Amino acid sequence: MRLKVRADLGQLRRIREFVTDSASALGAESTSFDDLRLAVDEAVTNIITHGYGGAGDIELELSSEGSDLIVRLRDNAPSFDPNLAPEADLRLPGDREKSGGLGVYLMQSVMDEIIHRSIETGNELVMTKRNVIGSARLSAAEKDG
Amino acid sequence: MSEDLQIRISREEGDKAVSVLRLNGSLDANTQGELESKAQEAVDSGAEYLLLDMSGVEYLGSAGMRAIHAITNILSPDDPSMRSARLKVVNPSPAAAKIFKTLGFDSFIDIHDSIDEAVAGL
Repeated sequence: MRLKVRADLGQLRRIREFVTDSASALGAESTSFDDLRLAVDEAVTNIITHGYGGAGDIELELSSEGSDLIVRLRDNAPSFDPNLAPEADLRLPGDREKSGGLGVYLMQSVMDEIIHRSIETGNELVMTKRNVIGSARLSAAEKDG
Repeated sequence: MSEDLQIRISREEGDKAVSVLRLNGSLDANTQGELESKAQEAVDSGAEYLLLDMSGVEYLGSAGMRAIHAITNILSPDDPSMRSARLKVVNPSPAAAKIFKTLGFDSFIDIHDSIDEAVAGL
């Protein structure tokens, strides 16, 4: 399931809807939809505001591998690894609004793995949520049982 | 104005200048500025206390939290701690409540079940 959109904050709602529709079509449990929407929204917001800072395109792809759901985001912006963004210390008032930090904290709190790669044309961010594809979990359990 | 977020402002009757902002829709990086503008508008119109009714918020991300932080600064410019007694959040939707909890903002911002309860606590 793929979507290519302009790097524009006005596209965020459409992107979140695409995530829900794709995750549902891939058989992900509905309890994972909020987490997937949150991670993708925060990642795309970072790409638009910190990566491009202007015009560009973003490609979004959702797929499944066994019981895992994989989200791939590709852009042509200068290299930006969210894992290296300054971490927000939520105990410090000044840190709570640090640009990017809160979003990355949320992404890391709802996804199991986040990997950034610099590719020839820009960046690729691969985010994995494990054990959410219901039918795959069921068949794995049957095989084990 | 974006169609992604609707904000209705009303004044509460009583001794204190309280305005309620009722949010419906998505509070993300695209709509963050609209909330801050409406809050500023309410304060410019004389509100000393703001209640954010978040029962209709279907999506809340970190940008929405930055908007809430900005509103505490509008209401209490001399106190950067976010512990503004002039801002209360009312009845957040499950999606919004989860973000408050995950980021620990529920320990800095007063959250109430109803407008009446929030007003009584002012």
